[in-house]
Amino acid sequence: MTKEAMARKKLWRCNVCNDIHYGIKGPDVCPTCGARNAFALIDYPEAMKVIIDRGERLDSVDKLLDVWEEFAEGKPFRLNPDEAFVRQLAKGELENERNHGLKYCPCRITTGDFEEDLDLICPCNFFIQPVYKETGECWCGLFVKR
Amino acid sequence: MAENDRLIFFWGRECPHCAKLHPIVKEASSELETPITELEVWHSEENANLMRSYGDIIKKACGGSLGVPALYNERTKKALCGMRVTKEDILKWARE
Repeated sequence: MTKEAMARKKLWRCNVCNDIHYGIKGPDVCPTCGARNAFALIDYPEAMKVIIDRGERLDSVDKLLDVWEEFAEGKPFRLNPDEAFVRQLAKGELENERNHGLKYCPCRITTGDFEEDLDLICPCNFFIQPVYKETGECWCGLFVKR
Repeated sequence: MAENDRLIFFWGRECPHCAKLHPIVKEASSELETPITELEVWHSEENANLMRSYGDIIKKACGGSLGVPALYNERTKKALCGMRVTKEDILKWARE
């Protein structure tokens, strides 16, 4: 995503169910309650309060594996069947989150430009990677074509 | 060996491809006059900064973004990147 597009993103709140969306505009239909044209602009401090810290954390290897399985469901790619390999990647991402703040791919390295490095959060947009087109695997091999 | 004349292997401790390439790099290194310097980048900001300083060339070798495993030749300013690098690739890159 370009920096110009990133700069245009704002926070939106569904006035029916308090769903929060971060994007250039709010969804036409709320994905949570189905209300139409219900999103109004909201500011960052208020949005953080509306979200409420429910205590959910993706802070274990097993949780990450569940998230990735769900992410790949019904898609043209699947989680790499080599579980030991996948677990090593998950450990690396958790380590990166502890040391560098976000679940960056352990097979990348941050550039130091925070916005550019958002592209390195796993799962990344691997469809655009030459390596995915050539080999059918994302850069780190976490996802492989079915 | 001059500081800027090294053959460098940039790797990440939690990167599975780096772990797979590691013995291949070691084997290639043992056949070279100039041994390959191994620098871990996720746990050393100094090493990461060095890798970033060669970022433009390494990014091209990696297909767009900085990635590990990556090898950088300070003398020729050429890079190799990714899990499909072979021992033959490394020897050729080192001796060029």
